[in-house]
Amino acid sequence: MANSFKTIAAFLHTGQNNTSKFFSYVGLGIGVLLLLTSLQLYIDINQLLKDKNPRKNGYDFISITKEITDQNMGNDNRFSVADVEDMKKQPFIKDATALISNQFRAKASAGKIIPFSTDLFLESVKNDFIDTVPPSFSWQPGQQDVPIIFSADFLEMYNVFAPAQDLPQLSASSIAAINITLECYGPAGIQNFTGHIVAVSDRINSVLVPENFLQWANQSFGNALSTPASRVYLKTIDANNPDLLTYLQQKKYHVNKDKTKFGRVKQVLQAVVSGLGGFAILVILLAMMLFSFYLQLMIARSKDNLQLLITLGYSPDWLSKVVAKKWIVAYAIIIVSALLLTGLIQYLFQHFSLNGKDELSPYLHSSVTLLAVFLLILSIAVNYRLIKKSLASL
Amino acid sequence: MTINIVNVIPVFLEKEKIETSAIWNKRVAFNKGEKLQIIAPSGSGKTSLIHFIYGMRKDYQGEIVFGEKNIGTFSAEQFAQLRQNTLSIIFQDLKLFPEQTVFKNLEIKRTLHPFQSESQIVEMAAKLGIENKLNRLVKTCSYGEQQRIAIIRALQQPFDFLVMDEPFSHLDENNRKIAAELIEVEAAKRKAGLILADLKRVEYFNADRILHL
Repeated sequence: MANSFKTIAAFLHTGQNNTSKFFSYVGLGIGVLLLLTSLQLYIDINQLLKDKNPRKNGYDFISITKEITDQNMGNDNRFSVADVEDMKKQPFIKDATALISNQFRAKASAGKIIPFSTDLFLESVKNDFIDTVPPSFSWQPGQQDVPIIFSADFLEMYNVFAPAQDLPQLSASSIAAINITLECYGPAGIQNFTGHIVAVSDRINSVLVPENFLQWANQSFGNALSTPASRVYLKTIDANNPDLLTYLQQKKYHVNKDKTKFGRVKQVLQAVVSGLGGFAILVILLAMMLFSFYLQLMIARSKDNLQLLITLGYSPDWLSKVVAKKWIVAYAIIIVSALLLTGLIQYLFQHFSLNGKDELSPYLHSSVTLLAVFLLILSIAVNYRLIKKSLASL
Repeated sequence: MTINIVNVIPVFLEKEKIETSAIWNKRVAFNKGEKLQIIAPSGSGKTSLIHFIYGMRKDYQGEIVFGEKNIGTFSAEQFAQLRQNTLSIIFQDLKLFPEQTVFKNLEIKRTLHPFQSESQIVEMAAKLGIENKLNRLVKTCSYGEQQRIAIIRALQQPFDFLVMDEPFSHLDENNRKIAAELIEVEAAKRKAGLILADLKRVEYFNADRILHL
């Protein structure tokens, strides 16, 4: 049968109930635009917030402490070995290690050039967990010289108050040249070491010394064989993993908010965008329902003519296909327009809001295009089935 | 090709009407190329028989077999194929699209499986005296004119059989003659069989066989 819709157009009452057809088109357009935009936004959020944590070899490192509240502030809020072991068992935690702190009094002074001295705390952690480990960061028993890794944040704080104290401001590279006298107080008196800052760490807010030095020093000056840790360092694939955040929340572990705040922002944004996507699906469903009412009404009003066409020898299957095809162009125009508009929004967002930064592509993600194609196929299939069903029931 | 009516009994028909019939509850064959007239008084199930053969109703017992195929088991798609290629019809109640023009009514059948050219529609309309009505809406035509439209429409497709239910009931003698001739010529072109059902013997229709329903 070489006939087209044109042949039978005069026998169908397509021109009636145009308002519901128009609103279903508008609804479909808005729904598809919302859904495609939500998916693109979801992908953008993942892309933009992926690299907001200091990472090393593909892992995030975050430090946690136990939450100190008014109720538990008198207790020992340090981590036991069992606590750390439990963390290691979690699938989303790749490794966990306690930060050992000094169990004796330690004091640092910088000699005559920088007349500054302070009591300080020392900590040590496995080298794996430190972002910058120079080869000189090691200590042998009997060695007078102790390498130190210093927090970049502390250096920044020092540089803030140094001018007011008539102290010189220091750069990250010049700090290595300063000889620090490290005084360790023990029961047998004070022992002095020479400290050298060998690296500055962005990741760990602490004064780090080699692990074997602190173990030796804790035994020698603090008489402590093993010490519970106040801080634990976690190695994880994604510090923003919702499972990890839930675990930490349940255990009432406090996490450095700077390191995970993007995770929380990401969670909230993803929830908002998912909600928007859900709403979009609802709008699409309503639009398709409205269109199905239009189709059913059109078929009901053309019932006599359609029945007579079938009586004359027109195939119900062919009629369904031809009638369904009639709206493919309208559906394709709506969905392709929504896709192009989503593409334009993405381009403008990347171009103006992010000033064309490379971290986000100005083009649509392939899954957005695939979703548009899927929606087009779905709507055509739904319409075809509906028309076929309606014609079969004539 | 043969249409076999095998022990067909309409479920609604009275017993005595079945017993006296030459078709109901009998085995009857309608052959391609044959001209058959069925004479059926009112209420004997004439229109029902035409509708059974055309597949519009299934409220009968027995079998109607086209060639080797029992049409009682046909799907809507199979009926569509049958009506496009093998079987044409002139309904007693004409079944035209009243809101469409005469031409559109003929063209919708012709385009389904074109056997005639568009110009042949005009020729046939001229023969039957409705050439000047082609662009008028069917609902504005007289019943006699509408009957001629239905006859021309039935001749737009290829067929092995043409079934007709009182096709000339509203035609004057002249038009009856012309219409019967036209139908016979078109049937001869297709080597088709004609089955005409009417209340009485129809003049100008040269039946090879007459059956009383």
